[in-house]
Amino acid sequence: MIPLVLNAESDAEAPFVTRLASRRSADPRESFCLSSTPTQSLWCGMEGLFTLAHPMDALTGDVVLVDPSARRAERLLRAGSPHNSLLVTEQCDQLCVMCSQPPKKTHRDRFEHFETACRLAEQGSVIGITGGEPTLHMGPLLAMIERLLADRPDLGFHILSNGQHFDAANTARLAGRLRTNIVWGIPLYAADAPLHDHIVGKPGAFERLIASFAHLLVAGARIELRTVMLEDNLDALAGLARFVAHNLPHIEQWSLMGLENIGFARRRWDALHVDLRARFAPVGNALDQASLYGVPVRLFNIPLCHIPPEFRDYAVASISDWKQRFAPACEGCAARANCAGFFEWHPDHLVEKVVPL
Amino acid sequence: MPGALDYLILVPTLRCNLACSYCQVSRAAIDARGHDWSSATLAGVEALVGGLTGPEVKIEFQGGEPTLRPDLIRAVIDAVPAEIQAQFIICTNLQTLNDEAMALFDRDDVQISTSLDGPLAVHSRQRQVDAGEAKGFHANLRTLLARYGPGKISALPTINPLSPPDPEQLIDSFAELGLDSIYLRPINYQGFARKRHPASRVNGDQWLAYHAAFVRRLIARNWIDRSRVLEESYFSLLLRRIFRPGEDRHVDLRNPNPIGRDYIVVDHDGCVYPTDEARMLTRAGIIDLSIGDIHAGWDTPERAALEAAATNDGDPACEACAYQPYCGRDIIDDIARYGRIDLPREETDFCRRHLYLFDLAFELIHSDDPAVQYSLRRWLGLAGETGALAAP
Ligand code: SF4
Ligand code: SF4
Repeated sequence: MIPLVLNAESDAEAPFVTRLASRRSADPRESFCLSSTPTQSLWCGMEGLFTLAHPMDALTGDVVLVDPSARRAERLLRAGSPHNSLLVTEQCDQLCVMCSQPPKKTHRDRFEHFETACRLAEQGSVIGITGGEPTLHMGPLLAMIERLLADRPDLGFHILSNGQHFDAANTARLAGRLRTNIVWGIPLYAADAPLHDHIVGKPGAFERLIASFAHLLVAGARIELRTVMLEDNLDALAGLARFVAHNLPHIEQWSLMGLENIGFARRRWDALHVDLRARFAPVGNALDQASLYGVPVRLFNIPLCHIPPEFRDYAVASISDWKQRFAPACEGCAARANCAGFFEWHPDHLVEKVVPL
Repeated sequence: MPGALDYLILVPTLRCNLACSYCQVSRAAIDARGHDWSSATLAGVEALVGGLTGPEVKIEFQGGEPTLRPDLIRAVIDAVPAEIQAQFIICTNLQTLNDEAMALFDRDDVQISTSLDGPLAVHSRQRQVDAGEAKGFHANLRTLLARYGPGKISALPTINPLSPPDPEQLIDSFAELGLDSIYLRPINYQGFARKRHPASRVNGDQWLAYHAAFVRRLIARNWIDRSRVLEESYFSLLLRRIFRPGEDRHVDLRNPNPIGRDYIVVDHDGCVYPTDEARMLTRAGIIDLSIGDIHAGWDTPERAALEAAATNDGDPACEACAYQPYCGRDIIDDIARYGRIDLPREETDFCRRHLYLFDLAFELIHSDDPAVQYSLRRWLGLAGETGALAAP
């Protein structure tokens, strides 16, 4: 597992963002390395000297947020990684049964640091925005991205949102400069309101979500629809496929996703988790129904050997590098390079159940 | 609505080394002069191609026999801006293979399209070549299939609807070459060809029954031999249009059918046509359907007039028809057959053909025969082996 948060020491007075450069540069936003051991590196920048509990080689090019009083540094944008994401808030107004990042009441506003970091991002980066629920802070969020795109039109953003906060007042803005550079990743768990509401833990959520889709449609926003496959909605997936085909044909992609054993899902694993090796039929049916009507659909977070051969083309090697792992037996597998593998925190006894291809 | 121009059919030369009985293009003799693009026409095409805005384009070279002018093909390929994802299709009779043509075929972005009329005897009869020449074609086709595999090559049978070959034999002649897609396309004789085949104006019930029998044969064969999936491409297109609104890239079947926008044909003399069929009608001297030329452009009153009529919206027969959302409007076909576009729709060959095929499609979609469902699922590109298509 790649560490995202490092122990750090710095005498700076306030948290700061900097890019870790291999050499001294003229750019005041960059820091350069003075010395490095296998466990620690010493850096020098505008905010003085600071140490990071990690070797230089692994960090060069990263954009970090150093927090002196907390004595830690967050690797906000790791060099060369397609999986960078910024957690803008831990607040949320839903309470999903399998939430991987259970919400907190308070909000720490870090938009300023995120904006600085994004300006330092590699050309053409797509930066994830997650939470909590980012659109609880819709105004500052959109304003930040608008400012960024004015200077960095090469950047793209993928924002995970529960879709409870879009209304007519947003549409003109979303249809403007933001439209092409943001993909909204929005979850929908069933075509049936009570089931969806039950899964997201909020009465009326389905209805509000459908209203949001109408506003997003008017704005021409790009949407990735996301559905985590759970014991609760497995048999409703084919119906959801038809619902998407008939009501949301303008989406860019429908992502069917395997469950992550973290957050609430950890406690409820046995009740929520579906073993697709034994029960793929409802998923296959949903994939077929979606494809039949031309909905672009993909399968995420499922190892290839857990998918029947004829459906493997739908699978995406999706699990982010920093939280991906494989079983020892995977070493000999011909499909390993194209395989999602498992989440780092997937139960050990399940990870062992691989069948090298 | 269609986007920018992203499909071009180019005719760099009208000359050909064959004289097929059905040839619709009023071909020119192999050594005729003045039937290739002039340098001004080439410059116009290069400018057009160089100005494409992408992100993708398909460019099909037809003739005549386009491989007689590999230099023109290369010039067009070189003119496509680097950032555009381009695919080239060279339509050739494969009568001869020379090094220059092979060098073009070797490119990863080039596909080869040819005509295969079925068994050797049929092929040589229709092409008016002797058995030796027909063998030459077959040998060349096999050479290319061996070199590239079937993925790079498509073959279209050209079928005389009045005496179609035995379906089983036709399927065999494709299958044995590793070609899985067969596009059953009855010849629509025009000009030169109509003089020889006067009875061909309307495809009668006999042809429709043939098409249906052919589709059923494919279903039976696919069920027996699961190792490969044979399809009739036009029927697959119909199926996709039933389930996938917006599957609108086939200019013979879409509604509305925009004219001269995303798709054009540039003839050997620089004239621009909305479709290849329109070009043939014009060449045959039946009616001038050109919409402009490569130099002056084609945003003309002629284009607008054709486009205004190219829809089935508002047509009394179509508005009352259950298949309207999947069907299309092909005014060029009406002009070709009847010289007019105002016949009651249900009296047209286009309508009869589509009504029949959509009837067949829906009958099959609702069939509970597993063999039928198996083939339909493959033709629609579904992964699951089984399961009924009709919504529960
Ligand atoms: S054996 Fe490992 S690498 Fe191969 S498909 Fe299974 S999980 Fe993926
Ligand atoms: S089948 Fe005939 S009536 Fe029906 S939509 Fe097509 S052309 Fe019109």
